[in-house]
Amino acid sequence: MIEVTGLEKHYTVAEKEPGLSGSIRSFFSRKSKTVKAVDGVSFSIASGEMVGFLGANGAGKTTTLKMLSGLLHPTAGTATVAGFTPFERRASFLKTITLVMGQKQQLLWDLPALDSFQVNRAIYEISDADYAATMLEFTELLDLEGILKKQVRKLSLGERMKCELAAALLHRPKVLFLDEPTIGLDVNMQVRIREFVAAYNARFNATVILTSHYMADVTALCKRIIVVDKGRIIFDGDLSALIEQSSPAKIVKLQLESSVSREHLETYAPVQRLDGLFAELLVPRAETSRVSGRLLSELPVADVTIEDPDIEEIIGQLFQSQRVQPLPTLESVTQ
Amino acid sequence: MRRYWRLIGIFAASSISAQLEYRANFVVNVVGSLLTALGSLFGLSILLGTGSSLGGWNQLEAIVVVGVFTLVEGFMGVFLYPNLNKIAESVRTGSMDFTLLKPLDAQFLVSFRNIGILRVTDLLIGLGMIVYATAHLGSSSASGVLTAALLIVAGFASVYAIWLMLCTTAFWWIGVENITELFWGFFRAGQFPVTAFPGWGRILFTFVIPVAFITTVPAEALVGRVEIGAVFGALGVSLLLIVISRVFWRFALRGYTSASS
Repeated sequence: MIEVTGLEKHYTVAEKEPGLSGSIRSFFSRKSKTVKAVDGVSFSIASGEMVGFLGANGAGKTTTLKMLSGLLHPTAGTATVAGFTPFERRASFLKTITLVMGQKQQLLWDLPALDSFQVNRAIYEISDADYAATMLEFTELLDLEGILKKQVRKLSLGERMKCELAAALLHRPKVLFLDEPTIGLDVNMQVRIREFVAAYNARFNATVILTSHYMADVTALCKRIIVVDKGRIIFDGDLSALIEQSSPAKIVKLQLESSVSREHLETYAPVQRLDGLFAELLVPRAETSRVSGRLLSELPVADVTIEDPDIEEIIGQLFQSQRVQPLPTLESVTQ
Repeated sequence: MRRYWRLIGIFAASSISAQLEYRANFVVNVVGSLLTALGSLFGLSILLGTGSSLGGWNQLEAIVVVGVFTLVEGFMGVFLYPNLNKIAESVRTGSMDFTLLKPLDAQFLVSFRNIGILRVTDLLIGLGMIVYATAHLGSSSASGVLTAALLIVAGFASVYAIWLMLCTTAFWWIGVENITELFWGFFRAGQFPVTAFPGWGRILFTFVIPVAFITTVPAEALVGRVEIGAVFGALGVSLLLIVISRVFWRFALRGYTSASS
């Protein structure tokens, strides 16, 4: 569905010294430098796949999405989306995609969201039957009842985002570029938006690229993640593979009924933390069920939970240790 | 084509509803428009009270020129200001992205998305002045009126093209919200017949900034003294400007790198 090869985007940006004197100098002669926002990115995404795009601010996520949606010409490289070359911006291409930007809005500020929907319906030439069906579905999935007729300026941020999503998906695009769709929303609303994206993906077999600062968005929706740093891809693959490779252990948390010595616990697995009746053990992935079974039967355990290490920590480690080298893939291990 | 007309209707409806949201503003604007019109009519009565002629145009003929000028001013207020002057802002804030993502010609969208309904009064006042003066002159023929209508439309097109090119510079020079004032300064000369200016002014306003073709020539058609060369000149200039502005727009769009967030 999406094929990207050696995609690059270089910007020329003006540099300015701070302060008024700097401003005056820069008014007469602008210094500029070239920034490689995207620097040779290649990947391929199958139809119906949901991929999470992770990276720090300025890593090149938004620039990549803009190139894929046809807003920016690549400096070099090629991109194909649903069989189209994005930057030709053909009408039939634009009807198959959508770009949602959490920080920008397209809804008419002074009018109810329904008015914006009517405008989009005309622009995208959506038939009456399709419009009615889509509206019915979205109203239920996003719980839009009662907010569609209020002026957009009077909606809460979360309500507005739900309407933004509905407006952007009214034409039932097959490819969704979601750039921080949950930014600034509270946890409940984040979950709501996530569920909607998942439902839309399942219902229309849509391809989704999602960027988010909230790791929970990504872990909930995307099996596969692409991590970018300084315009390059530093990881592309299964989220679970990433977790397995960078941290081969699971965390078994035990709430004990009576105290057990650290030495005794160490006979089961390395102890990460022991705090009175609470213990955290690092258990190798493959042995998780066997070890926790033994723990449960042999120790006075009141409660047990098994968790993956914090995904944000793993990504953080990835940034520090694996700057350019992609993680070894499973095939290369057999050599 | 029909689709585009339908879209203009839908855009206008939503734009008008948005303006009706602010009732006080609506009322203030209508009152303001009426006061402005009264003021310009008052000024005109002083000018015409002396009984002198202006560059070979008598009083009623001069009113026709002012009428055409007011009409074009109304066109700017209703169609150009609320649309093209937003280009700079939407480039700066990045909302231009949404325009470019729509499966429609982007120039069409930036040109017709809004309508300044409050300035329709200018259109009506301009039209009123033209009708009043030509009726009293009694010198206009049916073919003259038709020619004038065509020339006024051509004038609108010329103004639109110049306006679009000025606003399109926002793709490079972010923050040029007021660039159309450049044109406005010159356009004000259009409320006088071009023959009222000294030689250099006539050349400037005919060939460099074609204000003469926008107001004087249509007025000449209305009072029945237009030369065929001027008609073709006006039509040619407007066609040329439309083509150039289209090319310029497309060139600008290609170079557009949207504000990154």
